[in-house]
Amino acid sequence: MISITDDIIIRTVSRVLIPFIQVYALYVIMHGHHSPGGGFQGGVILGASFILYLITHGLEEAKERMSELKAGLLSTFGILLYSGIGLLCLIMGRNYLDYGGLSTLLKVIPAQARSLGILGIEIGVGIAVMGVMFSVFFDISTGGILPEDEEDLGVNR
Amino acid sequence: MYILHIASIPFLLVSFFFFLAATVGLLRFPDFFCRLHSTGKGDTLAVLLSLIGLSIYEGFSLTSLKIIFIAVFMFLAQPTSTHAISRAAMRCGLEPWVKKKEEIK
Amino acid sequence: MNIFLLFGMGLFSLVFLCLYRAVFGPGVLNRIAAISAIGTKTLVILLLMGFIYNRVEMFVDISMVYALLNFIGTITAAKYLEMKGEL
Repeated sequence: MISITDDIIIRTVSRVLIPFIQVYALYVIMHGHHSPGGGFQGGVILGASFILYLITHGLEEAKERMSELKAGLLSTFGILLYSGIGLLCLIMGRNYLDYGGLSTLLKVIPAQARSLGILGIEIGVGIAVMGVMFSVFFDISTGGILPEDEEDLGVNR
Repeated sequence: MYILHIASIPFLLVSFFFFLAATVGLLRFPDFFCRLHSTGKGDTLAVLLSLIGLSIYEGFSLTSLKIIFIAVFMFLAQPTSTHAISRAAMRCGLEPWVKKKEEIK
Repeated sequence: MNIFLLFGMGLFSLVFLCLYRAVFGPGVLNRIAAISAIGTKTLVILLLMGFIYNRVEMFVDISMVYALLNFIGTITAAKYLEMKGEL
């Protein structure tokens, strides 16, 4: 089980740098069509920032920010967003993930509807990758054994 | 913008010298702490100098601002990671290298 | 033949010199230090490639991500060794 680092330099520098890393990850997700990056890469950076928080501040503090339950819910929500947009295109009479069908829903021209649809897909992929990466690191670092296992899985709620 | 291209060349040359010195120290020093001392200081200074030189070459734009952001990030992150490794080595019980007594005489 | 190409080739040879310490270095700590130095040089090489190909606004993002993941990887390796307590 990872405990908090008793070194003030590592804690302070990581506390200063983590918000900038997360803002940069959001930039990579949103700016993915014009520069290298996209949903997967931004999600990896976002997950890496949470992993850095877990390493430097310990498991107890990291569970308040991002628990295993929250990571699982976020990853399933990302996949739901992805497949929901895809199925919405299917309902509108086009192929799966053919965003041109969204133009009547969003009341814009088809080219703009394609851009907005791709943005929604990227956000979904980013959230899913972030949740899966954090939960994989969580499981590996704890060995699957948690002190309050029932609370974390939401059994008693 | 020709004068900016000329002004960036000394930064690159000096930074290459510091990269070379850090690499020679990494290869030739006898101990882990000595090697870390070489790369930790030399690489940080060399990266700062080369990034400043490249941003001077680029001129005033969004790209040069991003390069300056990388320089600030490296200025914070590189000494921290060096500190973390050396601290882990001390915790693992690695003894610092000292000269033998008969060699001092 | 410009200055960036010469500087990049010099850094490329220095990366190979660092690779000796990463492959043959005694113990895992020397390897971590050498890989951190290689990552620092790679960051500058990526920016130089952007200047050579005239696509700096694309390569600067990759360079930023490389710096970030190098930092997080080194901190993680140090934390693992510190928790393990021995070499």
